[in-house]
Amino acid sequence: MKRKVQRGILHVILYTFVLIMMVPLIWLVVISFKTNREILTQPLQLPSTWSFVNYKEALELLDIFRLFFNTFIIAVTAVVLQLIITIPSSLAVSRMVFKRKRVQTAIYSFLLIGLAISPFVLLFPIYRINFFLGISGKWALILPYVTMGISFNTLIFVGFIKTVPSELDEAAVIDGANLFQLIVKVITPVVKPAIATVIVFNALYIWNEYPFAAIMLNDAADYTLARGIAFFKGTYNVNYAGIAAYSVLIIIPELIIYALFQNSIVEGMTAGAVKG
Amino acid sequence: MQWYSKTRNKIILLAPTLIFYLIYMIVPVLLAIGYSLTRYAGVGKPVLNDFKNYTRAFSDPYFALAIKNTGILLLVSFVMLVCGSFFVAILLNQKLRLATVSKALVFSPAIIASIIVGILWGYILDPSTGLINNLLHAMNLDMLCQTWIGDKHWGIYSISMVYVWQQCGFIATIYLAGLGTIPNDVLEAAEIDGASFWQKLVRITVPMLKRTVISVGVLVITGSLKVFEIVQQLTNGGPAHSSETLVTYSYSLTFGSREYGYGMTLATLTFLISFVIMMFYLYLTRDKESGGMV
Repeated sequence: MKRKVQRGILHVILYTFVLIMMVPLIWLVVISFKTNREILTQPLQLPSTWSFVNYKEALELLDIFRLFFNTFIIAVTAVVLQLIITIPSSLAVSRMVFKRKRVQTAIYSFLLIGLAISPFVLLFPIYRINFFLGISGKWALILPYVTMGISFNTLIFVGFIKTVPSELDEAAVIDGANLFQLIVKVITPVVKPAIATVIVFNALYIWNEYPFAAIMLNDAADYTLARGIAFFKGTYNVNYAGIAAYSVLIIIPELIIYALFQNSIVEGMTAGAVKG
Repeated sequence: MQWYSKTRNKIILLAPTLIFYLIYMIVPVLLAIGYSLTRYAGVGKPVLNDFKNYTRAFSDPYFALAIKNTGILLLVSFVMLVCGSFFVAILLNQKLRLATVSKALVFSPAIIASIIVGILWGYILDPSTGLINNLLHAMNLDMLCQTWIGDKHWGIYSISMVYVWQQCGFIATIYLAGLGTIPNDVLEAAEIDGASFWQKLVRITVPMLKRTVISVGVLVITGSLKVFEIVQQLTNGGPAHSSETLVTYSYSLTFGSREYGYGMTLATLTFLISFVIMMFYLYLTRDKESGGMV
């Protein structure tokens, strides 16, 4: 009996907690259906009509599909480039035989320094470097994003490759595979689970990233979602309902993707933390 | 791999990564340090001015305030996330009904863009139209109404709580993964020996999760030192820089006031401060050689 009461109390605590955690999201949806006047004069009332007029207006003010498209292109390009450069370099760091082992260890440690560097130190210098190199448009954002992933990817890939016995690649080499074939046909399939982690971790970071997007993108045609919502809020800052509707439109696809790929997303985000 | 370890092949494999890394990671850090020694307003050439920026930083009251605010943010998130989320994880781990759905919901704020987290909490915290104050008012609890954002006192605490809201489920999930690694028979054996819930928690669970707790601490420290969008959207560091954190203050001087030299000095100092805090934490939590903990 006592145990039953205890379980009952635990259930109440859990559901109350979950509800409180969800209030901000629920409230955002409610706000997105109210008129601006209702938000200001009757803050606690539910919307008088549940119409999508705010959504329609928000979509007319800023082309959200373009923002989605830009964010998608930037994230995919950056993550693909990351994989193309970091899988081979991780292979070199973990498998190749260096005359002096110390050189190899030094390169590995060097590549990990990035984990300790805050992106905020890099913002202005990278802006200058892009300017100096004449890089603009989406590339001004993609190239730094590629670099942001190097340290994390190296940590994950090297850690993973080291757990795999080297007989497999040695056999491939004896069978006459060249360097390219070795990477594409042998190493890439072997590190597949690590690739999933790396893709989720970096794609999510890029999808939600704001400070770099704010500084590097000059042309509104290149804006990402995060940059777009900031622009929207800055321009129509009294249109509370519109901003809320816009935020809901950005959150919903994120939640759908999350619901679909929950396991790999949670795994990707918590990777490294558990292993320490 | 002997056959393939020719210098040429090493270069082919390593060069692309190293080129990206040098141009967009190492050179920028060196540039930041370089700019930090100059006066530079964006036009003409940066002018070396010795260490004047650094002496200025140490007598800049807003910089001191930003350090204090960042300290508050760090402490609040450390207590709430390293300890608070642990209890959330314990609760989620009790095999209650709907536990799986609850886990998914509690985690969801972590995947939402921080800038939207900032925006949506504005609708909750706004002193006149926000949910909290209006609810308190409706319940006749007006004395509890506060200027959560927009005055000098509460800003940084509100920001801290929003950050905790965003990260709580994420950290709890890491703890849950750690809890899953504790062998059941250990806990069962303790139960048969008559250990209470608290005894099991303090004597078995916490010591066995030591590595996870340390990693969570690292995540919370690095994360809370980088909180940016939430501050920018809720208070924009104001009023009068009173809720500024280290990253938002250096950002606003660099890109707002266009004091690129001084802004980079603040960014460099911020980076150094974060680094020192992290080293100190890792030193405190290092593995003591004979320590009885696993």
